[in-house]
Amino acid sequence: MGLVEYEQELISIPVIVDVPYRFAAGKYMTKFLTELRDNGRFFGIRCPICNRVQLPPRVVCAVCHVKNREWVELSCQGTLVGFTIMYLPLTDPTTGKPHEPPFSYGSVRLDGSDSVIDHFLNVEPDVQKISVGMRMKAVFKPREQRVGDLSDILHFDPIPE
Amino acid sequence: MAENWEYSVFESDQRIVAHSRYYAGLMGSCFYKKLRDEKKILGVRCEKCDKVFWPPRSTCGQCFSKLSLDSMVEIGPYGTLETFTMVTYREPVHPRQAPLIYGIIRLDGADTGMAHFIDGADFEKLAIGIRVRPIFSETRNGNILDIDHFEPM
Amino acid sequence: MKRNVAIIGGGQTHHAARRHDVNQVEMVNEAVRAALSDARTTIDEIDAVLVGNMEFFEGCHMTDCWLVDGTGAYGKPGLKITTGGTVGATIVCAGVHHVASGLFDRVLCVGFEKQEEGDTGAILSGVAHPLFGRSMAGAAVGYFAMMATSYMAAWGAKEEHSAMVAVKARQNARKNEYAHLKLDINIQDVLNSRMLAYPIRMLDMCPASNGACAIILADETTAKDRCEKPVWIRAMDTAHNEQFELDWRDVTTQKSIFSRVSAARIYKRLGVNKPTDYFDVFEIYEPATWAEMVWYEDLGLCGPGEGFKLIENNKTGIDGPIPVNPSGGILSTNCIGASAMLRVWEAALQIRGDAGGHQVPKEVRRALATAYGGTNWTVLTALSRNIDD
Repeated sequence: MGLVEYEQELISIPVIVDVPYRFAAGKYMTKFLTELRDNGRFFGIRCPICNRVQLPPRVVCAVCHVKNREWVELSCQGTLVGFTIMYLPLTDPTTGKPHEPPFSYGSVRLDGSDSVIDHFLNVEPDVQKISVGMRMKAVFKPREQRVGDLSDILHFDPIPE
Repeated sequence: MAENWEYSVFESDQRIVAHSRYYAGLMGSCFYKKLRDEKKILGVRCEKCDKVFWPPRSTCGQCFSKLSLDSMVEIGPYGTLETFTMVTYREPVHPRQAPLIYGIIRLDGADTGMAHFIDGADFEKLAIGIRVRPIFSETRNGNILDIDHFEPM
Repeated sequence: MKRNVAIIGGGQTHHAARRHDVNQVEMVNEAVRAALSDARTTIDEIDAVLVGNMEFFEGCHMTDCWLVDGTGAYGKPGLKITTGGTVGATIVCAGVHHVASGLFDRVLCVGFEKQEEGDTGAILSGVAHPLFGRSMAGAAVGYFAMMATSYMAAWGAKEEHSAMVAVKARQNARKNEYAHLKLDINIQDVLNSRMLAYPIRMLDMCPASNGACAIILADETTAKDRCEKPVWIRAMDTAHNEQFELDWRDVTTQKSIFSRVSAARIYKRLGVNKPTDYFDVFEIYEPATWAEMVWYEDLGLCGPGEGFKLIENNKTGIDGPIPVNPSGGILSTNCIGASAMLRVWEAALQIRGDAGGHQVPKEVRRALATAYGGTNWTVLTALSRNIDD
């Protein structure tokens, strides 16, 4: 018989990793986030070779490997390319605040942009009321609540036909 | 052609908070339960290497032999201070507030050492090679802090 | 310089929701010992050890260092690799390069995830860009749900189709002794399960599994000397996407979707005209049922918009003409760090005829394994029974 008995209790040890970060936006994202926060405007940037309007704006076009220079102010309106109705609570990891389900969530391609923004949709969480192709419009939080983040957008409203 | 750049530097402060839970495994559970329930310290013996490891582990890192629960042996309680230092800067992640002293202790019967706090003596009185004994915590939960610290004998 | 590379052995743990009986080192060691035994190789004969998982999922850095006891890497060269969901296959890719280069003869590849130990939601939020999207991070379920609604709108697929995929996966898993979720479910069970994010239900999504997989790669001389059934890695391909391009959720997008780009490249390299003729079995990385149907199309198993018809006509069942995921796939076992490696290993088992209860009933000469991760980038692995075929 050994020193040790084969017992059932299995030990576990809880650990919390709590790490602060400070991210520098860099030149182009600074313009994008500052314009979002101060003026409620979206800016993309166009590649001189492939003409893609990239959102968020980035210094180099990854496809063409050239510097993007031409700023493009985008519309606040766009088209819904995909959506879902979330039954799981979605917690903003930067604030810890949960968004209680059910709620509508989707991917909107702003007019003039080549990429999409994921955000809440101000539509009743009912499959019959949302469809791919719907026209949507960004609604901003009041200026004093904006910090320079996509959460400065409150949600997307459907544009009535 | 210089750009007219009117934007000030933008930085974003954020946090990531993650809650983990580590399972010690069968051997690890035996080790921690012996600490918690009996205030005894276990190592594990590799026959092939003729070495006793602290903390105990299921595979010998050096010869890859499987080490079983039956190979666990009681070690210590006394040991030798192999090396030590005093930490004077403060970090939120430290388990104790600086200034704190910790060192590597090699318990009697073991061939490897483990880090733990050294307390109960001034830093100037400590030296490599001195003998130390474990001081157990009143409340023990089955982790390495069931030993509160080691103190010079 | 490029040499031929074979899988000479492998192993995996019995994947489970809970593995309280082992720590990470011990869990990895189970797979490593199984692989060494299968390959009839000792740890001393291994020249390098490559290890990886989903980055920082368990809250531990430098896994290559502190898992040394378990992986047997003491004194040996090696790397830690973390590439998100694709990591299991990326490790195999790196291993293949190590051996193909001529600098190493026998390389041990290990992928693992002790998922119960980590706060996967918190760490996964770290994948999203901190300044564009992290605050709105939709979680994997949300992303796949949006792809699903786009797919339904574009092609007329129905929720029943995703249920068919879910049933196929879990019924296959019942034949796989290592799989995590072995569920005897039918279509109605799937449609009755809890809705997570429309149209994705609980049974449409993969589980969180604890498990590890290990594969041993070797050069031609070693493989021919000691392995009765070496499985040759004929080609691998990967393609990164840009970080912000989430357009893969819009299935009608005209943008480069790298699963298609990567597939086209690997097919061209191997001279594949029709993948369904060339490959006998597919092990694909499908985090959600809808993703599997989209993968059918991206891999060229059918035309655009026809993915849901393949499952509807049971073409991809275990005894069908195009068997996909006879192992039960990711839908049945998802220990993320090992998942992509398990696709390669399961494909190898099929070629060897060693898949046991979930062996496909036809002759398997060649197989294709895929991996999926992050910004929709991929690792494809083409395996063959023959060194030059």
